[in-house]
Amino acid sequence: MTTEDTDTQTTISKLPVAAAFVALLGLADSIYLTVHHYTAEPVPCSIIEGCEQVLTSTYAVVGGIPLAAFGAAAYFIAFSLALLAAFGYRRTWALFGIQTILMAIFTGWLIYVQAVLIRAFCQFCLISAATTATLLILFLASLVFGRRQALNSV
Amino acid sequence: MSNDTQKKSGVPIVVIGLVFLLVIGGGVWFYNSSKPTNNANAPKVNNTNSPKPSAIPANALPGANPPNQSGSPTAAVTLEEFADFQCPQCAAKHPVLNEIKSTYGSRIHFIYRNYPLPMHDKSYEAAVAAQAAGMQNPNKFWEMQNLLFSNQDRWKEDPNYKQTWKDYAQKIGLDISKWETDMAGIGAKSLVDADIQRGKSLGINSTPTLYINGTDIPFPQMTVDGLRQLIDAELQKAAPPAKMANTANTGNSNK
Repeated sequence: MTTEDTDTQTTISKLPVAAAFVALLGLADSIYLTVHHYTAEPVPCSIIEGCEQVLTSTYAVVGGIPLAAFGAAAYFIAFSLALLAAFGYRRTWALFGIQTILMAIFTGWLIYVQAVLIRAFCQFCLISAATTATLLILFLASLVFGRRQALNSV
Repeated sequence: MSNDTQKKSGVPIVVIGLVFLLVIGGGVWFYNSSKPTNNANAPKVNNTNSPKPSAIPANALPGANPPNQSGSPTAAVTLEEFADFQCPQCAAKHPVLNEIKSTYGSRIHFIYRNYPLPMHDKSYEAAVAAQAAGMQNPNKFWEMQNLLFSNQDRWKEDPNYKQTWKDYAQKIGLDISKWETDMAGIGAKSLVDADIQRGKSLGINSTPTLYINGTDIPFPQMTVDGLRQLIDAELQKAAPPAKMANTANTGNSNK
């Protein structure tokens, strides 16, 4: 095994750990929004205006459950899968990838809803979008590094 | 991903379990600490940045007098809505409240308060436009309010929104020159300002905000079914047992 191989492998092994930490950030953000939904207290919108329009819109609730609660569940699952992958449960990384792609697609829809249908943005929703995008990047990076490692070993 | 000693270890399961417990515990703690208190006697800070109290404090400012109201002022149940003509959720809840008004009629007292939020560029003017319509005839306020909410998407981004509103004013049969004079004058503005002052004294920082008999109603409960439940409960509380029995008998005798 060359030094380059070892470096690539080290990078790959760090990606699930990084993903687990990023998923925790998304989890904290989603829990914050879920709790605010149930307390019906306005969310402090300090960076951009429009949190209330987004969070009180009809798109923010599905079947009486706030979307943020679904987000919290998704981030918790993503965290668990990434952590398991970091500890050598290799198959969970593939599941993490599938889940992250689905989350990214859904996030794209939510950005569209905010930009076009509601015409307002919620900073906490944008944080969640950035978190999902980071998770996707980490997963894609693992594929790129994995491919490079496979090519090097040929 | 890692060496064999780490592989299949129970550590991640334990960490996941701990995080799960932390999430549940943290969520409950955060919920309890951010839940508004129901103590109406607690001193309230008249600042829109402070949390909105869950009940109307006695020292709240009165708002426009007379207010934009419908139903019966002596009804046992009072609904007080603070809304902004440019707020999408206020427009979304408008049909809900219309249905409630038509269902309960004089059994409730409905008050509409103008509460234009500073983030909306036309909402103050829209409030003044509706108020000016109401100065010709209280019913015209409701007609204008209906048109403004129902057509919100059409005028809120329209550079010629004033002409659009003028068309609405013509549609509902207003005296246009008086309406324009009232819009420019201080009368309509002072009524809107009084409502805003009341809203601020209540710490309102989002719309729609709805009070039923002085209790702030959470947004998810602002549905026809949710509001009916709350109003029915209030009506039941207000009705003395004898009257309720009479009502029941009357209902039967009409069969």
